[in-house]
Amino acid sequence: MSLALSTLLYEWRRYMAAVMALALSGLLVLAMTGVFIGIGKGFTATIERSSADIIIMQPGATSLIGGPSGVPRRFIPLAYRNPQVVEVQPLDGAGGSFQSVKNVDPTMSQADRARQRAPKQQFVQASIIDTTPGAVTIPTDYSQELVDALRQPYTVAIDETAVTKLGVKLGDKALYNGQTVTVVGITRGYPNMMQANIVMSRDTLRMLGQADTGPRVGPLMVKLRDPAQAERVAAQLNVLGDGQWKAWTRQELADANAGAMFEEGILVIIIGGCVVLGTIIGVAITWQTLRGAIMANIKEFASLRALGVGMGSLNRIVMELSFWVGLVGVAAAIGLTWLVQMLAMANAVIIALPPVLLLIVGGGLVVIAMLSGLLSLGILKNSQPADLLR
Amino acid sequence: MSPTKTHGKHGDFAIEAKGLVKRFKSGKAFIEVLKGVDFDARHGDLTMVMGPSGSGKSTLIAALSGLLRPEEGRVDTLDIDNLWKLSSGRIDRFRLDNCGFIFQGFNLFPALTALQQVEVVLKFQGMPKGDAKRQATETLKEVGLGARLNQRPSALSGGEKQRVAIARCLAKNPQILFADEPTSALDGENGQVVIRLLRRAATEHGAAVICVTHDPRLEEWADRVIKIEDGVIIDDQRRTPNPDATLASH
Ligand SMILES: Nc1ncnc2c1ncn2[C@@H]1O[C@H](COP(=O)(O)OP(=O)(O)OP(=O)(O)O)[C@@H](O)[C@H]1O
Ligand SMILES: [Mg+2]
Repeated sequence: MSLALSTLLYEWRRYMAAVMALALSGLLVLAMTGVFIGIGKGFTATIERSSADIIIMQPGATSLIGGPSGVPRRFIPLAYRNPQVVEVQPLDGAGGSFQSVKNVDPTMSQADRARQRAPKQQFVQASIIDTTPGAVTIPTDYSQELVDALRQPYTVAIDETAVTKLGVKLGDKALYNGQTVTVVGITRGYPNMMQANIVMSRDTLRMLGQADTGPRVGPLMVKLRDPAQAERVAAQLNVLGDGQWKAWTRQELADANAGAMFEEGILVIIIGGCVVLGTIIGVAITWQTLRGAIMANIKEFASLRALGVGMGSLNRIVMELSFWVGLVGVAAAIGLTWLVQMLAMANAVIIALPPVLLLIVGGGLVVIAMLSGLLSLGILKNSQPADLLR
Repeated sequence: MSPTKTHGKHGDFAIEAKGLVKRFKSGKAFIEVLKGVDFDARHGDLTMVMGPSGSGKSTLIAALSGLLRPEEGRVDTLDIDNLWKLSSGRIDRFRLDNCGFIFQGFNLFPALTALQQVEVVLKFQGMPKGDAKRQATETLKEVGLGARLNQRPSALSGGEKQRVAIARCLAKNPQILFADEPTSALDGENGQVVIRLLRRAATEHGAAVICVTHDPRLEEWADRVIKIEDGVIIDDQRRTPNPDATLASH
């Protein structure tokens, strides 16, 4: 084992401050970015689990919900012109108010209700499925029972993460835009931290008076005879659309959707701020810790200098030491973030930690540690072997 | 059989220094700590440098070994003409290849075992891992620490620590061994072990051992005693060492 590693292991207490600083810096960036990716995933989940092989949207749109992504209705028959296409359905959706009717006394004022901690009125996003068997708008992970249940008029499904927020359970009744609906399904894995999502059938949406009936419809969900051909057919459809629409394969759209989120200026500012803050804290504390550790062993280093070990070799020892400190810091950061992730999960907040993110942040922490090592090299100049001769 | 080889011919010069002058700045004035010192040391000799505190003994060693540049004078050592003409990197290399140092303090890394302390230096010399381990083990056995190989400094006595420090030097088989007050932090018994090891390094390995001390009882082991006072050598005598002398407890 090398001198640097032995020292780190033997005097680990001395390095705890640096390791914790790195871990917290890492946590700051990982948790922040993870939360945003988690939010993004909520949106992307709908795309990734859709049974559509191809999605046709207005050029420039990257998101199924929120933002103009729809196309003219006349594109539906146009898409059918490709022989691979077997089904085309426009996605539809709306927004509305949602109010649990449990324990609601209509004579009570809003203020009284709030005092009783009755569920408040919430604004929700409604999205639709077609309940015909095997419809292209049914997400792949929906059970047959759920689809059957939603076929009943005035029924909705909500995600398990919205249960508390909306104040309804399976079987409860609620008011959607003032009309009574029944919760007949609880989905899993469609969290939305901003606004709860409810799912209903296209027919229910129509009966609630919110379906698209005009010349424009939502994004087109396209099912192919052979899903493996998706890329080729998407290209053909794009040629056919001649710039009036863009056809995405499901995966392409999911990737673009995740990427689009980080084009938001505010996100870049928040995450960038965390990175800068984390770097400053990490470098400052790790630097001081390493300085202290080197000073504590300065006589030993000086004795090596006396024996002819060059300054370059001592510098390398310090750099190796900071590398190991960085690596331990990465492990601590990931461990800490994992704990926070568990905690967040229990509160329906998704912190997504894709391996690329871990890799980048981990690499960043090692760089921070090595940078601190670089800064503390100056202190080695104090290892004057002549000082040992007294 | 000893794992280390002998150097030079007993009696050959290992170091020759001429006209060493070293000044330190003290306030506005300079104080001259070495006032034109001529010095030499031979292979196989335990050369003892003695003198009162502040007389410049440590400064002399630092100038001889390439640790502290003198203002005037030259140091010729082994096959190097004028050590102080070399770049600092070459001086480091010279020390790495040829010099050992023993200080009053032991300066051992708290994290390393006795074996690792010795190995580290050998690895810096470029010795392959396996050889370094073998050599380190042998040398530690030679200084009587065969049973303490895997102890860290915190588990070693002062005398044992100093022996590890000596093994760290002897393992690289130095032609010149500098020791500055190697026994003054030790009791009589441990001091005796240490001075005997230095004696052996000179006799058996042919190293030029230069030992600074203010303890007159160590003279017993010396081949030569040089007395320095106020930066000037005032006495230089050869004598016959008595390797079996004993050092009473302080
Ligand atoms: N770096 C320095 N700066 C200024 N003065 C110094 C420095 N190093 C040594 N001196 C002075 O030089 C003189 C000689 O010091 P040196 O360490 O060589 O003495 P010494 O003979 O080894 O003494 P001792 O027996 O106490 O170890 C002392 O007066 C000391 O104060
Ligand atoms: Mg001294």
